[in-house]
Amino acid sequence: MNSKRRSEPAQKHELRSWYDYPPMNVSLGNMLHNKTGAWRFIKPIYEDKVPACQNACPAGNDIEGWIKLLQKGEYEEAYWHLKREQPFPSILGRVCFSFCQTACNRSPLDECVGIRELERFIGDQVAPSLAHPNLPGYHGKSLAVVGSGPAGMSAAYYARLLGFHVTIFEALPVMGGILRVGIPGYRLPREIVETEFHRLKNMGIELRPNTGVGASVTIDEIRNTYDYLFLATGVHASRRLGLEGKDESHRVMSGLAMLKKVALGEKVDLGQKIAVIGGGNTAIDAARTAFRLGCRVTIIYRRSENEMPAHPEEVREALEEGVQLRTLAAPARIELDDDGTIRRLVCCEMELGPPDESGRRRPIKKEGALFDVEADCILTGIGEIPILHYLNNMATIENGVIPVDEGLKVYTKGSGKARIFAGGDIIPIPHTVVHAVASGKKAAIAMDCDRKGTDYSDVLEEIALGDGTAISFSLYMGWDPVNPVTQNNRIVVDSEKIVYDYFGKEPRVRQEIQEANIRKRSFESHTRTFTADEAQQEAGRCMHCGRCIECDNCLIFCPDMSVQVKGEEQFGYAFDYDYCKGCGICFTECPRYAITMVDEETSVEGDNFQLSTE
Amino acid sequence: MRQVIKGNHAVSHGVRLSRVKVISAYPITPQTTIVEQLSEMCASGELEAKFIKVESEHSAMAAVVGSASAGVRSFTATSSHGLLLMHEVLHWTAGARLPIVLANVNRAVGPGWNIWADQTDSLSQRDTGWIQFYCESNQEVLDSVIMGYRLAEKVMLPVMLSYDAFFLSHTSEIVDVPDIEQVDEFLPPYEPEFRLDVNKPRMFGGMVGPDCYYEERYVMFRDALKVLDIYPQVCEQFHAVFGREYDVVEEYRTEEAEIILVTAGTITSVSRIAVDRARGEGKKVGLMKLRLFRPLPIERWQKVLGNAAKVVVIDRDLCAGLGGVFASEIRSALYPLTNRPVLFSFIAGLGGRDVTPEDVEGMINYAAANEEPETMPLFWGLKGDQGGNHAETL
Repeated sequence: MNSKRRSEPAQKHELRSWYDYPPMNVSLGNMLHNKTGAWRFIKPIYEDKVPACQNACPAGNDIEGWIKLLQKGEYEEAYWHLKREQPFPSILGRVCFSFCQTACNRSPLDECVGIRELERFIGDQVAPSLAHPNLPGYHGKSLAVVGSGPAGMSAAYYARLLGFHVTIFEALPVMGGILRVGIPGYRLPREIVETEFHRLKNMGIELRPNTGVGASVTIDEIRNTYDYLFLATGVHASRRLGLEGKDESHRVMSGLAMLKKVALGEKVDLGQKIAVIGGGNTAIDAARTAFRLGCRVTIIYRRSENEMPAHPEEVREALEEGVQLRTLAAPARIELDDDGTIRRLVCCEMELGPPDESGRRRPIKKEGALFDVEADCILTGIGEIPILHYLNNMATIENGVIPVDEGLKVYTKGSGKARIFAGGDIIPIPHTVVHAVASGKKAAIAMDCDRKGTDYSDVLEEIALGDGTAISFSLYMGWDPVNPVTQNNRIVVDSEKIVYDYFGKEPRVRQEIQEANIRKRSFESHTRTFTADEAQQEAGRCMHCGRCIECDNCLIFCPDMSVQVKGEEQFGYAFDYDYCKGCGICFTECPRYAITMVDEETSVEGDNFQLSTE
Repeated sequence: MRQVIKGNHAVSHGVRLSRVKVISAYPITPQTTIVEQLSEMCASGELEAKFIKVESEHSAMAAVVGSASAGVRSFTATSSHGLLLMHEVLHWTAGARLPIVLANVNRAVGPGWNIWADQTDSLSQRDTGWIQFYCESNQEVLDSVIMGYRLAEKVMLPVMLSYDAFFLSHTSEIVDVPDIEQVDEFLPPYEPEFRLDVNKPRMFGGMVGPDCYYEERYVMFRDALKVLDIYPQVCEQFHAVFGREYDVVEEYRTEEAEIILVTAGTITSVSRIAVDRARGEGKKVGLMKLRLFRPLPIERWQKVLGNAAKVVVIDRDLCAGLGGVFASEIRSALYPLTNRPVLFSFIAGLGGRDVTPEDVEGMINYAAANEEPETMPLFWGLKGDQGGNHAETL
């Protein structure tokens, strides 16, 4: 429906006899000559905004964009679109904390959208051998990535897309960092990680396992060989228990060290009864892994179950499988025999006092409330710390991590050719895979700005999304969004801006998980990827917050017929500003806040869209 | 293709074959299965129409007024109280000159709450300006939908076709359901001169003062009378394609009839039997089946009935304070004749009470035996004394 409005001013018709009458009661003129748009003082514009999910994602994943492509059945396009901001959907689709789901605006209506499962679906759709489209050439600058965990992988990926020659150094014989040797296979199968490195290699990124910096090569060597360095060695050491008396024994080990051994196929001497100390993901991963190796496992955590930092799903699954949990308890003393065998593990009951600096209530030892826990092996999962001695005093370290500027550049000492950046768990950011991936992306962009001689702090400001720390690679590259509509990358659409009346409840498609009895002894993945039907159904629950989906509500409600379909294969609508009175009904009735009311004087992209008139 | 279908489904097929684009209706016994089958046809894609769900018949009629104004062939169906609820909008539809077809299942008006055959509902709407047809068989019902659209779109007036509750709506009969290609030959797409068009905005149904309204209504009146010329043309075209005829009236054995019955609806079928029996006994009795009721085919009625000595009108309806509506209209049609027949008015079958051939024979015999009718109609088969002549004693 293109506007071909014909103005027919009212004429005086003489009705001298019934003969002169039109065949029905209808006017023979119209009022189009009266351009009611002149009454306006504010006007509507179509403007896509940042949905709550994208805003909550540390990587600024354009979730709504790839969901839209998924719904159209364009799975490959959805994959490449997703990869613009987060390169590893098959991985994050399995292990991400999913801040997006927590922020999803659908929760007040029924339940959040299963974004993580949808991301996994998209990631799993695409053949490992599918070549990356539009790979650029090289500008000649080189980047050494130290550490092949998610931060390093992400920096390598984006740096390659920005034309860098990239080499990833990895001390272990296998690539992937925590993804490969920290997270157990039943959560993240090793083949998935290996496939991602296969893809990175196909892009021209050089992989160097068994090449630890500080072991096979020194930091100074690579500092002088490469133009840029990205440090991403992660946290692979564990906090000590720090108990009175001797606690060194082959049977007192870091949970992370145990997981690494298992991941590398090495034998582990675990005994029969394991006590796991801690309540985070490492503790749970270690507990469930030990359980699968045939041990009886008890987790000992000093606060209550509600305060455990691990994924609640992980905790629940562990308990279903048969892992025991003893909360409000902490180890007080370990008594060892001379050969290192654990004679006694003495624990103390705890109670919760006032909150500490993390905001959680501080656990306090209860006087005289000691008790024994039967254990012949203790695994610690009370916090991981970086190993940074390889830096050779080249960088400042504060509180065990490397401080960086807004572009993740390291404050270095000494000299060397390379500009040094860092990311992942060794810088002061939350310890999640997605934060690591986001840091790799940000550093790659900062490095590219540095290479070009532009000020990356201005650039990072320009490409910021919403009100968090996320930045957009698409904006940096000037790539088009899915909707060819004006974009506002700062306004966040939270649940207050959604008109829930236009959405009906739809039950969430549940991801199947193997029964506890079956999965509890297996290292195979115990969830399966959505089928295409399930994915379509779940994707159908996305409300497309802040993004136009041509639902026609504005068109239906406009009292002045001033919303015109652009037509001819073009997306969306145009306002007929000749008649739009700026009443704001379109803005109010847009279910998803994809319209903005702006001051009449504001000139807007797309204002020149010509509706043809006769 | 010949099928055994109920009257309501005959309507559904008629609507499907007419390629109706918008349907809006509210359920009421005994109309519901019309719309039920239409919604199934829409769901299966057999009928490409938009079904608008509404909360009342007033809204249903208003919805199709909207869609017809936008230039789209539209349909609704109702019965009894549903039709009455639409009353205001019925006036509007005709005044707005919208060619909507409405199928009305003739059902009694309450209170008492009665769902059975009675023609008071549609007859009480005779002033609204709608063209009105009364159908005797399921075949006629189906054909009337198709013809209805053709006629309505030619004269730009809405058409109401009525048929008896349960006797037709829920009774199966053999119906020849035409192929849609045949119907396409007969019924072209609806392309009105004036319609709601956002690109050519106009004012519809605007305010009109005493200086203009009169002539507007005159135009409507004239156009309604045109039906009397146009309808026979439509009939001819229909006959050419489908081989069936539906005249404004049907004369059954009226040659040299001294007594002519006038009936509408299924009482007609029953009366045919009574007429045959009477003729068998040598009585000169005939029947005029009344099909078109509005506009009043005055000349035709005069022609058919004028030479009879007695006219017996059976009304399955009642207008309080007046009597039978058909009787009243026929009287007024015959009034201009210098020699006019004597008119016996019977009320029968209200609220679905059965009218048998024996009842009709009784009415014929009453007319034969009496020279002057009563002032007030005779309520055939009434339980208890009616006062005056007791018709039941015959």
